[in-house]
Amino acid sequence: MPVDRRKAAVFGGALALRLLLLLLFPSLPDLLTGRVEVSTPVTSFKRLQEGLFLYNRNASPYDGGVFHQAPLLLPIFSLLPNAQEYPFPTALFYSLVDLLNASALVTISDSAQAVSGRLYSSVRKQIKWDGVVVAAWFLFNPFTIATCLGRSTAVFTTTGILYALSAAVQGQNLNSMLALGFASYLSIYPALLFIPLVLLCYDRRAQRSNITPSTALFVVKHFAVFLLSIAGLLGISLLIIGDLFALISATYGFQLLVPDLTPNIGLWWYFFIEIFDSFRDFFLGVFWLHLTAYAGSLTVRLRRQPLFVVTSLLGIFAVFKPYPSISDASLYFALLPLYRHIFPLMRYTFFSVSALLYASLLGPAFYHLWIYAGSGNANFFYAITLVWSLGLSLVIADTIFAALRDEWEQENPDQRGRPVKQV
Amino acid sequence: MNTFFLLSLILVALSVGSAASNYHENLHLQPLPPSNLLASFNFKSNTTQSSFEKQHFQYFPRALGQILQHANTRELHLRFTSGRWDSESWGSRPWNGAKEGGTGVELWAWIEAPDDETAFSKWITLTQSLSGLFCASLNFIDSTRTTQPVVSFDPAGDHSPSENLHLLHGTLPGEVVCTENLTPFLKLLPCKGKAGVASLLDGHKLFDAAWQSMSIDVRPVCSGPEECLVQVDQTVDIVLDIERSKRPRGNPIPRPIPGDKLVCDTSKSYHTRDTCYPLEQTAEQGWSITELFGRSISGSCPLTDSESSNEDAVCLHISPVREVRSSPDSVETKWTNDFTRCFSLPPSIPFDLTVPEQASAAHVPLDQPVLHAERTIVGHGQERGGMRIIFNNPSNEKSVDFIYFETLPWFLRPYIHTLQATMTGPDGIRRQVPTSEIIKETFYRPGVDRERGTQLELALSLPPASTVTLTYDFEKAILRYTEYPPDANRGFNVAPAVIKVDAPQTGRPIYLRTTSLLLPLPTPDFSMPYNVIILTSTVIALAFGSIFNLLVRRFVTADEAVALRAQTFRGRIGGKIVALRDRIRGKSSKVE
Repeated sequence: MPVDRRKAAVFGGALALRLLLLLLFPSLPDLLTGRVEVSTPVTSFKRLQEGLFLYNRNASPYDGGVFHQAPLLLPIFSLLPNAQEYPFPTALFYSLVDLLNASALVTISDSAQAVSGRLYSSVRKQIKWDGVVVAAWFLFNPFTIATCLGRSTAVFTTTGILYALSAAVQGQNLNSMLALGFASYLSIYPALLFIPLVLLCYDRRAQRSNITPSTALFVVKHFAVFLLSIAGLLGISLLIIGDLFALISATYGFQLLVPDLTPNIGLWWYFFIEIFDSFRDFFLGVFWLHLTAYAGSLTVRLRRQPLFVVTSLLGIFAVFKPYPSISDASLYFALLPLYRHIFPLMRYTFFSVSALLYASLLGPAFYHLWIYAGSGNANFFYAITLVWSLGLSLVIADTIFAALRDEWEQENPDQRGRPVKQV
Repeated sequence: MNTFFLLSLILVALSVGSAASNYHENLHLQPLPPSNLLASFNFKSNTTQSSFEKQHFQYFPRALGQILQHANTRELHLRFTSGRWDSESWGSRPWNGAKEGGTGVELWAWIEAPDDETAFSKWITLTQSLSGLFCASLNFIDSTRTTQPVVSFDPAGDHSPSENLHLLHGTLPGEVVCTENLTPFLKLLPCKGKAGVASLLDGHKLFDAAWQSMSIDVRPVCSGPEECLVQVDQTVDIVLDIERSKRPRGNPIPRPIPGDKLVCDTSKSYHTRDTCYPLEQTAEQGWSITELFGRSISGSCPLTDSESSNEDAVCLHISPVREVRSSPDSVETKWTNDFTRCFSLPPSIPFDLTVPEQASAAHVPLDQPVLHAERTIVGHGQERGGMRIIFNNPSNEKSVDFIYFETLPWFLRPYIHTLQATMTGPDGIRRQVPTSEIIKETFYRPGVDRERGTQLELALSLPPASTVTLTYDFEKAILRYTEYPPDANRGFNVAPAVIKVDAPQTGRPIYLRTTSLLLPLPTPDFSMPYNVIILTSTVIALAFGSIFNLLVRRFVTADEAVALRAQTFRGRIGGKIVALRDRIRGKSSKVE
């Protein structure tokens, strides 16, 4: 098999860049681990180490307020040498995970599912980037690099989601469900991707074998596989931890009820600091309902492009999740280059990119003003998270507009390029 | 300070020997360098277990006894402390630290209960009742401030092994101890502070002290299988600044010494008539009880059990060459080969003690503490910080084994995996050591948000003449805005650490306490909950609105859109006209 030289260069370059940064700035990983933009209470590497410390001393890591991550990470990380004394193996491990994610992206891109699927084929399918460019967008994205160096455990969820997608576009439905089960096991919210993903699997199956299986049966079967994979992982976790109730309430209960209000780039923390106590539970429900509402509606409207639904949902999660971090944004920005062909149809590119840049540059500065300098208050950082969320949701809305417009033009080829209105 | 211990031992022996209800009180005074005075009040009353159970209280305070019975409490220790004991100038602590608490209020008790839940509910009953009795915020000791130490405290009383006892410990480091706590404290005494040494206790002087600690200990003392006493032991220890206390209450502002009374160092080259380099006071300051406490002791408490134990009612631990004048009716006893002089109190006649100013006399040697400990919060910013605990073993020969116990509030999240130790040995070289070299055992119970605090107990061993620094990182949680106190930016109090040093030679452990800490937390903007709710909701509504707007509408070309709009406009107008016409017709038909 001939080695793709471009691919080797991008992957090698990305690995070298990560290790070089570690070598040049040995304190960078710890600095990034401590940043609220990178580490959230459910993905923080420092909290993982605390859990690991307790786990290795036969104490329950969930009998405390610090560790809220999936128990399967504990035996995996106890194999690695102590990150405080030997940071290199951990950094190498995370860099390799990044490369794995990138190779899954290459597979997704090479399948060309983003531009033409079973039910839909874009009229602009010649405008596209190949897999290596998409992987390069992911690997050299500063958000991805920061997540990798900050050793956030969100990268494993990213791996699960990307592998679920890459298996789905290759027609390996079972693997896809298993990978999605893994991602959902790690951080609950990927379960919402089940509907578009199973449709993607269904389309691929139908495309390949030309006989369309019964949709309901197909979905039920795959849902069973998905549930079984989660149940299996929870079973293994039970062997590790023993106390299922403590495990569930400390991991999934924590993500659902949001008791820890550590600042992050999302919208939940400040809202739930300031909300009146009697309305807390109500708004918790409203926020979760809002987050889940997108899955169904996007799937119905964009039925012909399930991969695009997954992408948009990931973008929406990056804004409206309880504990979002830049790693969620980096996953969205990783999938976005697959849709190079709809970029020309977007309307507010400049504005949204400026808003995102503005937020990412001023965010750390305003956080410093609040927490360290004391010359600003919490509203400074809060305002920046609002701008960030606004910018990101603008990008999402804009790409959905572009995708819908692209569908419309495919249906009405004679109207191509004419100004449109929505009624 | 061993005298203290001897004294208390003798007192215990006396009280146990008599095995009946009795009451004893005494006051112990000791000058401390540079110009302070330690006054230790001790009040001890006994009642037999059987009369305690029958609610027959004689000297035992009824209010306290009923609370203890109601809460199934077998042993109780309550402390009210403020200020800091300066062990570098004052030496080791009075009562070897056994009668003092951390800054604020500290309470621990052994409660008999079949299981932990019952014990905790009894504990809540106890704290609520004591809160009412002592006018302290003890009712704020909830599950987040309660711990169950494993090795830090041992029962001081004699308990039968059949009892299922639970130790619970709670602290209120932010509590300001003041007069309202002293009044109920005095009310527990048989003479209510009207007579005896307790008549000296006045809130103005007591809470003006550099350090003060009030304690109440209730414990069963058994001399035989069926001969048990319930003993309540109340102490007040204060360190007064002599000069400050001598200022008259009507004119408390300190004034400079007049020029003609200054003692100048004439050897200085610049010494002239109007420039003076003042010499340190070489003479020992003179004082009297009346000057320091603002009043004299109003005679002995008539309820003290016998004349024999009235001999040591007021004791003075002072150099034998120092002149001491007492009121004429009292009897002075000098204790042999010691620095202690004791005086008996005359009944119902005021008693005063005067120690006149005297040129430098031989000092009473101070016991040096076996361990120095210091605890501080390091780091900056409101996001994270670190705890640094410095232990110093002053002894050149012996290593020190001790238990370090701390409780942290839940909003301070320690990362115990970052615990590191550095040691400075006798050679003065600072080096990193593995924690296992110093820490023999660890008991760690991490905190749970809004449920319980962190509990950390370390068994440490410190080699001779060494200083060990322990550090660990922590993170500061941000709270809901209703969980902040009104003065949120002042910070939150963190309870002092308790250190228990094993002292095999005396049998009873020595206790040390570090100072309490102030922890600043990140604060939200308290003034704008409405704005936050509105702004966040706006952003969500914008995203939701724009996305769902795209999803539910269909595309048309611009021309079609104009046509559609025009059509709908015309249609709307037409519809309205029709509706108007119908209405007019309808009206007219009604009129008809």
